[in-house]
Amino acid sequence: MSDRITIMLDGRPVEVDAGVLLIQAAQDAGTYIPRFCWHPRMNPVGMCRMCLVEVEGPGGTMLTTSCTVPVSEGMVVHTASETVKKAQEGVLEFLLINHPLDCPVCDRGGECPLQDQTMAFGPGESRYVEEKRHFEKPIPISDLVMLDRERCILCARCVRFSDDIAGDPLIEFLDRGNYTQVNTFADEPFASYFSGNTVQICPVGALTATPYRFRARPWDLEAVESVCAGCSVGCRVSVQSSQNEILRLLGVDVEATNHGWLCDKGRFGFQHLAAPDRLTTPLVRGEDGELHEASWSDALDRAARGLAAIVDSSGEGAVAGLGGSRSTNEEALAFERLMRHTIGTPHLDAAMGDALDARLLAAAPRRGLIGDLEQASTVLVWGPDLREELPVLYLRVRRAVAELGAGLVVVHPRASGLDTIADHVVRYRPGEGGALLARLAAGDGDLAEVRSALDDGPVVAIVGRTGLTEDGDLAGAVAGFAAELPDASVLAVSRRSNLYGAIDMGLAPGMGPGRVGEDPGRDADGIVEGLRDGSVKGLVLLGADPAGDHPSGTAGDALSRAEFVVSIDLFINDSNRGADVVLPAAGFAEVEGTMTNLEGRVQKVNRLVPAPGQARPANEILADLADRLGGKWESSTAESLASDIATLVPYADVSWEALDRGTGGDGILARGGDVVYSVPTVSTSVGNGMALHLGRVLYDRGTALMMDPSLAKLTQKPVLHLHPDDASSLGVAVGDQVRVSGSDGSAEVDAAVDPSLSPGVVYLPFNLGVSVGSDPSVTVEKVT
Amino acid sequence: MSWPDDVVERAEVMVAKYPESRSAVMPLLYLAMREDKGLTLDGMRQVADYTGLTPVQVESVASFYSMYKRDSVGDYIVSVCTSISCHLLGGDEVLEAVAEETGVPPGETGSDGRLSVEGVECIGACGGAPAVQVNYELVEGVTPDSARRLCRWLADDQPVVISSDQMQADFGGIRSFEWGPAEPGGATGPVPAFGPLGTEGQRS
Repeated sequence: MSDRITIMLDGRPVEVDAGVLLIQAAQDAGTYIPRFCWHPRMNPVGMCRMCLVEVEGPGGTMLTTSCTVPVSEGMVVHTASETVKKAQEGVLEFLLINHPLDCPVCDRGGECPLQDQTMAFGPGESRYVEEKRHFEKPIPISDLVMLDRERCILCARCVRFSDDIAGDPLIEFLDRGNYTQVNTFADEPFASYFSGNTVQICPVGALTATPYRFRARPWDLEAVESVCAGCSVGCRVSVQSSQNEILRLLGVDVEATNHGWLCDKGRFGFQHLAAPDRLTTPLVRGEDGELHEASWSDALDRAARGLAAIVDSSGEGAVAGLGGSRSTNEEALAFERLMRHTIGTPHLDAAMGDALDARLLAAAPRRGLIGDLEQASTVLVWGPDLREELPVLYLRVRRAVAELGAGLVVVHPRASGLDTIADHVVRYRPGEGGALLARLAAGDGDLAEVRSALDDGPVVAIVGRTGLTEDGDLAGAVAGFAAELPDASVLAVSRRSNLYGAIDMGLAPGMGPGRVGEDPGRDADGIVEGLRDGSVKGLVLLGADPAGDHPSGTAGDALSRAEFVVSIDLFINDSNRGADVVLPAAGFAEVEGTMTNLEGRVQKVNRLVPAPGQARPANEILADLADRLGGKWESSTAESLASDIATLVPYADVSWEALDRGTGGDGILARGGDVVYSVPTVSTSVGNGMALHLGRVLYDRGTALMMDPSLAKLTQKPVLHLHPDDASSLGVAVGDQVRVSGSDGSAEVDAAVDPSLSPGVVYLPFNLGVSVGSDPSVTVEKVT
Repeated sequence: MSWPDDVVERAEVMVAKYPESRSAVMPLLYLAMREDKGLTLDGMRQVADYTGLTPVQVESVASFYSMYKRDSVGDYIVSVCTSISCHLLGGDEVLEAVAEETGVPPGETGSDGRLSVEGVECIGACGGAPAVQVNYELVEGVTPDSARRLCRWLADDQPVVISSDQMQADFGGIRSFEWGPAEPGGATGPVPAFGPLGTEGQRS
């Protein structure tokens, strides 16, 4: 694409990239050609006819759609001739024939491409005086999206997005001619994880999002660019608010991460910030055993006294810290300082026992970039179901495979979102991943073909925990194997938003800020164990909910044994309901700072709205706490912490100023660091009996999601999925109750049948309210 | 709800005819329509299962073509052409005769659910106008009289197999391509993809 050619654009010679579409080339050269159906991230169809231009050719000068014509050397193009103007006016007059022009009551009014382009290129008035067509308006096509077919101009952007980009073709053209409409199947709603993107790219007000409908007019909105905190992909977003309340998020098109797309969890997951249950004052446990509102100074005094008492009686090592992965890098660094330096404990972990070895996440062998997918010949996904855990990374893999033609190998215990486009799908029993890896590396038997597919480089390997019963070291062993593949890039993935940044800030046992080694300490599993056996007595939680997030499902019980717990959070949850001091923190879009995504890409997050009530940024809370514990911090503002971060080797190039200057850009990669990941050897043993696959779903019962009225209703009830053979041998039919018993308890749930599982494997979604522990070995029986 | 075994077998034959299963969507829709006397949501869902499409993609195809009926229709759909050639040569009278003989007004289905009557736009048999289709099998050179006989035959014999050749012999007149070179497949012959339905004259 680097070749440049010259075309004549409206009488002036301009140099453009060879091979690009005329509409794009003209835009690059500063000439905007109006369009509705063309979208720079989707294949052109030339349906709306709005982008007609005149192109001179051997057969004469002809009107042609500039979105379907690639530029060629010497091409002579007219975008504003009388003929073109007449064509544009004609097209707009046609497009408006059935459009209701209900702009005053339309959410799109004020930012509507149809409105804007009618004003700029339209005829001014219509000759059409007949009755317009009518549809029931608006109809819900999913829990999140409403469709007004009268406004629709039939550009097919939503249809093409859902089919080509998202792979969920649930919305289509129905009927024909003047009756053509966009709709869903009668009893199959547009239940795509990516449905919100169609609202954003709809060039009219036909698709609207229920959380935003009638909440604001575009000209009343304030906006900043920021980064979605929903997962670790780090999608660039525009956060928009009115009257100090966030009303919507829009995807911003950046090359590095999201290409403008967002998942619905990211797009609509902001409503918890204004939830009535949001903590607005410090809470301190009183003599009566209940949490009571307190002043900041009382609460901080109490927190400091409690922690100091434990240090005095049992030593620094009796205090531990969990959390920081939902915070900014600046807040995470403050947490590290408080725990490791002011208090002096080595026991701190940003992960909840559900991620991977921090060294693997921070220093995977041949660590790659999401963008490497664009050049990949083969993609190996041996990790989580990306559609459920890292949805926009799923879209990027989908693009690499379905659009750019890469081969795809998926290894997962059950059907995952990518299976339909995969060349090879390998199933296995949780707990036997090591044995499978050994066979795959050797190209054993039926895996010979898969093994040889992996020899076609460049290979991008996405590794992670397929489920929470899977040993985290397996992903490390897979990363070690994948790193040896030709031109390999390895992405070691874990879901929680700023986990990578938190690790880089030293919130991992044995790792200090800037990816350097530190004294070893307990990880989350060790801290939970320490709480159980009494060796850990005091705990500081920073936006952490181990009761809900730790795979054992029993961390809540362990927490209740702690002598003293301080929680800094947005909500009361199962982990801090029994805490001694709860301090209200500022959340997403309420603080300024940086976040680091799964590639090590640092991006700026910005403040748009004030935190509610007395909630404060976590770094200020932590500094005040440190001050009471005798820590002498020079400064604790986010800005000063940011300049401290810039002294860490991998973050040497990172500054707020540089990131702000690059607004809309791709952020800055934090590269390097001292830590080395040594690839572990994993057990190749083979189990028997029933094995549990504990997989994540996008809409789980996480605290923030449950506080979000639009998303909470999308969570499903937990169902145990069995292979049909196991179901029949247990005498279980779909909908029957089964009891599943694991390492940490048992539960009765409804049964479902899933033929994609291997016989002997059952699947239970994680964090939907049912937990039986994280050991793969379980028993299942029918409840009679 | 699922299809009976013989229908499933035909569906599988159809899917096997195409290199990609989604290509079988149109003949399968015809099969679903025959099975349920009109396309139902269940029928379209079945077609989606066989083709690997989503139900709405199937409905998108089904709703584009007017020959797929989404309202319930009778065992026999009698389509009388009313476009220009047939109109000039008496197609309207043929339609009138059909409606009168069967008691079913154009665009409707008889109360016994056996027969639907419709006037349609050009069915590509201008050379043999006026033309009529029964279950999309063509008969040309029809007169009001022969149309009445055709309707009585449908009512009395209740034929399982509708064959263009047989109807042409019994009720037809001039044919579009009688004057042209014979085509091995028969220019007005049955639609190849419908073969497994048995409309070539024999049930598979």
